[in-house]
Amino acid sequence: MKKTEKELQGKIALVTGGTKGIGKAIADELAHLGATVIVSARSLQDGNLEYEFIAADLSQSEDIKQLANKIIQQYGTLDILINNVGGTSAPAGGFSVLSDEDWEKDLQLNLLAAIKLDKALVPSMIERSTGVVIHISSLNGKLPLYASNFSYGVTKAALNNYSKALADEVASKGVRVITVSPGMVKTTAMETFLNSYGASIGKNMEETAQLVMDSLGGVPMNRLAQPQEIANLIGFLVSSKASYITGTNYVIDGGTIPTTI
Amino acid sequence: MEKLAQELAGKVALVTGGTKGIGKAIADRLLEAGAQVIVTARRHPEEKLKHHFIAADLTIASDTVKIVPEISKQFGAVDILVNNMGGSTSPSGGFGALSDQDWENDLQLNLQSSIRIDRAILPQMVEKKSGVIIHISSLTGVLPVYESLGAYAVAKAALNNYSKSLSKEFSPKGIRIAAVSPGMVKTETMDSYLHSLSDTSGSSVEEVTQNLINSLGGIPMGRMANPEEIAELVGFLVSPRASYITGVNYIIDGGTNPSL
Repeated sequence: MKKTEKELQGKIALVTGGTKGIGKAIADELAHLGATVIVSARSLQDGNLEYEFIAADLSQSEDIKQLANKIIQQYGTLDILINNVGGTSAPAGGFSVLSDEDWEKDLQLNLLAAIKLDKALVPSMIERSTGVVIHISSLNGKLPLYASNFSYGVTKAALNNYSKALADEVASKGVRVITVSPGMVKTTAMETFLNSYGASIGKNMEETAQLVMDSLGGVPMNRLAQPQEIANLIGFLVSSKASYITGTNYVIDGGTIPTTI
Repeated sequence: MEKLAQELAGKVALVTGGTKGIGKAIADRLLEAGAQVIVTARRHPEEKLKHHFIAADLTIASDTVKIVPEISKQFGAVDILVNNMGGSTSPSGGFGALSDQDWENDLQLNLQSSIRIDRAILPQMVEKKSGVIIHISSLTGVLPVYESLGAYAVAKAALNNYSKSLSKEFSPKGIRIAAVSPGMVKTETMDSYLHSLSDTSGSSVEEVTQNLINSLGGIPMGRMANPEEIAELVGFLVSPRASYITGVNYIIDGGTNPSL
């Protein structure tokens, strides 16, 4: 499959949580399209990475400040910000098993990390009247699953609202902000989630995957996404070809969501 | 401008209403990506066309039925169907100004003609176990307006529901189906429409344009779209890069939609 080459030549891009899964696929795609890619995560587990790596724990304000400063000092600017970091460590089993701490952790990871990072980096985009911010959300933000990942869905729904509000505010200043909501994607994080959810209900990973797909109402395309498929959409959205797209939420889910929007 | 990769090489694409405005931009974009493009319209336009042209009024059932074997014979199975044809001839003046005929016209042009051509083309895609259908809808389908385009908006809302329903039935068979909902797009049709609003209301074109923008709640990006911007999204959606995208309605509106 050939792609448009060098669409992002000269652009500086940051991908949070960019060392594995969807984040890594996005980093690879942006680099393939010619961008200079910086990747952040709490640590670099596998050691080798083609991109500049900056360690940052986005729950720590100091880390966020340092990450933003390093980027601006080294590159002068940021053109593309992919807020990909997200997830959950909360247990499955409905609302009553969720502790205050579970809620706080998911809010931090899925909402506040993006808010704080945007606050540190979007002003320089506004100053230059150019830039694109992507918030990687989840289908669960629109289609909650109380049994498997209650708090994750809630915090992604909050992210969706924040992303839209930010988009409305900065559109006239030349900055595009878009939410992307993947359905089920085949990553190691997904496998971990399915294994741990499965363990709590006595099912293996395949059975659990089927259960989750069923609880979503089924996946018309009858499979999970590959991370590359998510990355393809991001690659399009951050390019100049998507110049009229902002303040919207693009679902990419193999048809899973049952409603019209 | 760099040359586009030929990611649609070997594909046959049909774009309804593909001789002007958004449809023409889409047809051009698909051609750049290597597709063989057939466009329909009621009449061949004055200028020379880059694409294969078939004259058809797709609001008429017999025309729709007629063109399908013509296309099959000349080009083979259709891989990509872009239902771009649409619009409105209804008067402004709110709900009370709309006659039964206005409602029927808008439903025919924006909903039933898509249904008919989809019904005619789907068997080819089902047999091939692959294909993409795009329904060009409108932001007004989720953000109704009433002063003018009231019936158009209703027809587009129906089109959205139909598109989603079709995707549920046919995505398991390998066919991707999606709607695209543009906000305001700068085309000749838009210009004519604004001029006609101006004529009937006695306000200037600038005033009626601003009133229309206001009725949508304003455009955060501060401008209308170019047809090429809509075409780029469609070009992406029909490509292999969009392989996990189906059953969606992608809004492209410079932020106009006020809701999530």
